[in-house]
Amino acid sequence: MVGNDSVTGFLDRNGCLQLVVKLAAWAKSTGKPLAALWVDLDRFRQINESFGHLGGDQVILQMAERIRDRVHGRAELSRMGGDEFVCIAPGLNRHQVDELAHEIQRVIELPLHLGEMQLHPTASIGIAILENGEDPFAFIERTDRAMMEAKRQGGNRIVFSGDEPIPGRLGILLAREELAIENKLHTALESGGLRLHYQPILRADGSIEAIEALMRCAADDEEIPPARFIPVAEKTGLVIRLGEWSLLQGASHARRLQLAGLRCKVAINVSRAQLVDPKFSQALHGALICANVSPDLIELELTESLFMDISDDVQNNLRNARACGVGLAIDDFGTGYSCLANLKDIPATKLKLDRAFVKMLPQDQRALSVVRAMIQLGRELGMTVIAEGVETREQLETLWDAGVDAVQGYYHARPMDEEALQAWLAAREVP
Amino acid sequence: MIAPDISKVAPLGDLLAASIRDIDIPPRPRVLEKITDEMHREAPDFKRLTAIISADVSLGAGLIKTANSPYFGTRRHVRSVQEALLLLGLDIASRAIAGLSLREAFPPTPQLERFWDSSACIARISGWLTQHSQGNIRVPPEDAYTFGLFRDCGIPILIKRFPSYPALLQRANQCQEKSFTAIEEEAIPTNHAIVSCLLAQSWWLPEEICLALRNHHDATQLGSDSSTLPIISRGLIAHAQLAEYLIQRITGLCHTEEWTKLGALCLQQLGLTTGDIDKLLPEATAIIAAES
Repeated sequence: MVGNDSVTGFLDRNGCLQLVVKLAAWAKSTGKPLAALWVDLDRFRQINESFGHLGGDQVILQMAERIRDRVHGRAELSRMGGDEFVCIAPGLNRHQVDELAHEIQRVIELPLHLGEMQLHPTASIGIAILENGEDPFAFIERTDRAMMEAKRQGGNRIVFSGDEPIPGRLGILLAREELAIENKLHTALESGGLRLHYQPILRADGSIEAIEALMRCAADDEEIPPARFIPVAEKTGLVIRLGEWSLLQGASHARRLQLAGLRCKVAINVSRAQLVDPKFSQALHGALICANVSPDLIELELTESLFMDISDDVQNNLRNARACGVGLAIDDFGTGYSCLANLKDIPATKLKLDRAFVKMLPQDQRALSVVRAMIQLGRELGMTVIAEGVETREQLETLWDAGVDAVQGYYHARPMDEEALQAWLAAREVP
Repeated sequence: MIAPDISKVAPLGDLLAASIRDIDIPPRPRVLEKITDEMHREAPDFKRLTAIISADVSLGAGLIKTANSPYFGTRRHVRSVQEALLLLGLDIASRAIAGLSLREAFPPTPQLERFWDSSACIARISGWLTQHSQGNIRVPPEDAYTFGLFRDCGIPILIKRFPSYPALLQRANQCQEKSFTAIEEEAIPTNHAIVSCLLAQSWWLPEEICLALRNHHDATQLGSDSSTLPIISRGLIAHAQLAEYLIQRITGLCHTEEWTKLGALCLQQLGLTTGDIDKLLPEATAIIAAES
């Protein structure tokens, strides 16, 4: 019969493709989803080689029966040739098709008897869901590629099309969503989409302890939140460029302020990726030289993830930075990965208490006790202690009473661009 | 609140404007900002772009010269800024303008004039070479050209900061064993490759070019097996290195040891043999003669 496979009775390749075209039109007219699963048995060639084509056909037939029984009318079945089956499932959403794929995977894994042998087959399954206006053949090809990715990852797994990694512009494998963010990052990097905003850190007498530089990233007039771009920047290595760009811009800003009569530290965030880079020290000095700024006007804010593993490279880079006069601040202290045992290994000059503690002040007495203990700890280690996230007068007064050296937060100033910072500085009362 | 650390606040804005000159890295020129802004509009206005570029006579002339350069493979002779923009397209034109502005961003000295002439020559030959390499990756000629111009732009910055840097350069140029940047780092806490990269980052150049700048003396990053660099970055380094070598062979001027250290790896990247170099020499000679 034309359009059917002689071994299994399923549709053959042509029959499958005709059906996909028909169902794609159905999906378009009804607005319902259409999913496809491409099932490929792992190591089938070895079965064929060991048991001959007749043995192979027996395996195919048994697998086809298992799949048919399990699918039970939820999908149209076809054999694309060899050990490859395609299930076209009209009306199934991502969750339902994922469930169906797992059911098929389990039923394939049941032991299989071939003569006296007991085999334990497995399958690689690729899944795609028809996209709006997508060509039906492109849709089936996507399903096939997802299956091949499942194979590439070692087989016996399920991969959704779109989830399989694709090499990005710099050759790093990324998921589809990450790829879109990487593109935006490149757009931002090539069109001036990076900006530094500045938030002052103030002492009790109103003088400026430092100004923290915070990165903003926008592409095509749309702001990209750090939570979205930082993970992709870390994966692609672009985080080093973002960090070095901040270093140079922050250092130049410190120099401009100094020339305008305000000698004030600019605190710049550095990532873990920068600090494990053996060229970090050269990049830091390069930025200081380019900005023509004195190192003691620069402070590096170290993220808490640095505490996960302080390698020799990191320690050397930090020691070199300290040795030339650059300050080191430990950011978000007291939460996450911060660990007292590691505190002694970082030659930091400043401790920034995490906003989570400040948020609970002044009501929470236990939080206050922890804050006091951390201030004491910072003092013992000869560090300046800063409280982050100060939003109310009550919090501010509690923190001054507890003995912090300086505070940062919306109560005094939000992060602002360089122009707004100039206006803010100019509007302050001068003795 | 009292701010005892600011003595005079009122003239802050004026002082900030004046202070830019004191900072050693040249800021991205305004004209480039204006051009980028115009390019990112939904429908860029070529007339306005022409006006922006033509306002700077040397920039306009430079762009026309670039559009007529042989590495773009055009036979049409361009006579106006608008024609140059149409021929090159906005992306390439903005790159060319970045390159032209780079030279203008540094104060002119006789020593630097020779340096920029040499960079421009490397850039042109690199762009032309992209049509002749046999490697797996095609490097766009405009990228090779931009890379050539920016490759050593860290040098003038370091010369300004370190009086002994010219002597250091000479030592690094003559050293056959250690990498160029290793020699620099024995005397100063950074190297020109990193500084070139920092400048390119702040001028918003593509990451592939920045990575190539950062690593252009690093043999381990040129080898196919050991490299973590994108393939296009390796291609950029190899094209410029071969261009420099060809120029040195042709002019007999300023010999460095870079080809001794990196030549074999560069040829491997470009899919060329030493025999191919001899075939490239006559045409390269003609280009250098025509443009000088």
